[in-house]
Amino acid sequence: MADNKISSWSALTAGWIRQNPTFVQVLGLCPVLAVSTSAENALGMGLATLGVLALSNLFISFVRNVIPNEVRIPVYISIIAGFVTMVNLLMHGYTYSLWLSLGIYIPLIVVNCIPLGRAEAFASKNTPWKSFLDGLGMGMGFLGAIMLIGITRELFDAGTIFGYRIWPAAYNVFVIALPPGAFLVIGLYMGLFKYIGRMRGQKRIQGSGESK
Amino acid sequence: MGNHVKVALVLTLVMLIIGIILSGVYVMTLNPIQKADLNAKFEAIKFVLTDPQTGQLLVNTDQIPETMAQLNAKIWKSDSSGVLYSNSKLPGYVLSPAYLFKGKNGENIYVITGYGIGFGGRVVTVASFIQQKNGFIENAIDVIDFSTETPGLGAKINDPDVRSRFFDIPNSGFKDTIKVNKDADLFPLPSNYKAEIPAYKKKGIVVTSDVMTGATITPRSVANTLNAMYEFLEKEVK
Repeated sequence: MADNKISSWSALTAGWIRQNPTFVQVLGLCPVLAVSTSAENALGMGLATLGVLALSNLFISFVRNVIPNEVRIPVYISIIAGFVTMVNLLMHGYTYSLWLSLGIYIPLIVVNCIPLGRAEAFASKNTPWKSFLDGLGMGMGFLGAIMLIGITRELFDAGTIFGYRIWPAAYNVFVIALPPGAFLVIGLYMGLFKYIGRMRGQKRIQGSGESK
Repeated sequence: MGNHVKVALVLTLVMLIIGIILSGVYVMTLNPIQKADLNAKFEAIKFVLTDPQTGQLLVNTDQIPETMAQLNAKIWKSDSSGVLYSNSKLPGYVLSPAYLFKGKNGENIYVITGYGIGFGGRVVTVASFIQQKNGFIENAIDVIDFSTETPGLGAKINDPDVRSRFFDIPNSGFKDTIKVNKDADLFPLPSNYKAEIPAYKKKGIVVTSDVMTGATITPRSVANTLNAMYEFLEKEVK
């Protein structure tokens, strides 16, 4: 039923800006705050979450009609945990140093609000293809947000982006690497997103007023 | 009753499918994981067998193990329990096996793996100790597993800036166990602390608070590991 109302394009792009899981829905902030100390860590965490989101949404949507309502949450969590374990194993085997530096936050994707939230809000009500696109889009939104924060924090903490020096170390703002710095950066970006949203809303109102 | 059976069947089926996929990925990644862990161990051993001041190897190049057989040939002590020594008061643990290498000048260099308890669990360290007339000098360390520590805080333990603070600690530093500066009442640090770092090491004080702000538990776990290693060496090497 929900399928008729949402286009594939809308399912894919909703998470980019309009319903961005980090800046708009304010979901899954724990790993964003903890892992975004560098662009590399942020990229690794973002890609891991993207993979889990897309695959768990797809799988949950496939089995949505056979899962009894009263056990749906344990089933969703089990499916998400299965995919997180797979991502953890793959990263341990193929990207060892990244796996080591992301540490406990890879297994913790299981309890991240975003995969469970999308499973409950979207994948349980839509077709596998649209659910996959929704997971992909939300994952891309999360990846973009955590990358933005990671790049900003690495730049101001170390003067580098992905290890490449941008400005001398003397200009570094050390507090950005600490938890208060993470809150500061995320708060500023949330404010920016809010401001952009308000400006776009005002333009839309003005546009509709002129057309009348 | 019928509904309960249906719920049980569905749950079993879903878990079975996930289990099959998961076991496939496990089998697929088993070898790469073992290889990655082993490579990390070889790199760590090579790293701790290097003089941090000069960057030169302390042993001849052919002594550096590149295969499991070569590594096994260097085993000095081992125990089937997996633990060679433990001090639960620290807490610090020495893992089996411990390795013995001969330095370029014939000196004994012990390469030991151990762990302490960090913020999230085990912090595993490989360290080398050079035997001297009056004890051991700790040459270098490599922290090989800190995957349960917080990224950006405790997980900075193996950053070169932090790791190097644990290099080159003389036996005088271990007499009353080594401590991180916050545990040795050396906080806040005096303005000239950087010049004093070698002198602090002689007293068993490892300065970490400037390079690991907000994370004391993880460097403390490494200090505890090194203390356990030193105790083990004093007990085992006559």
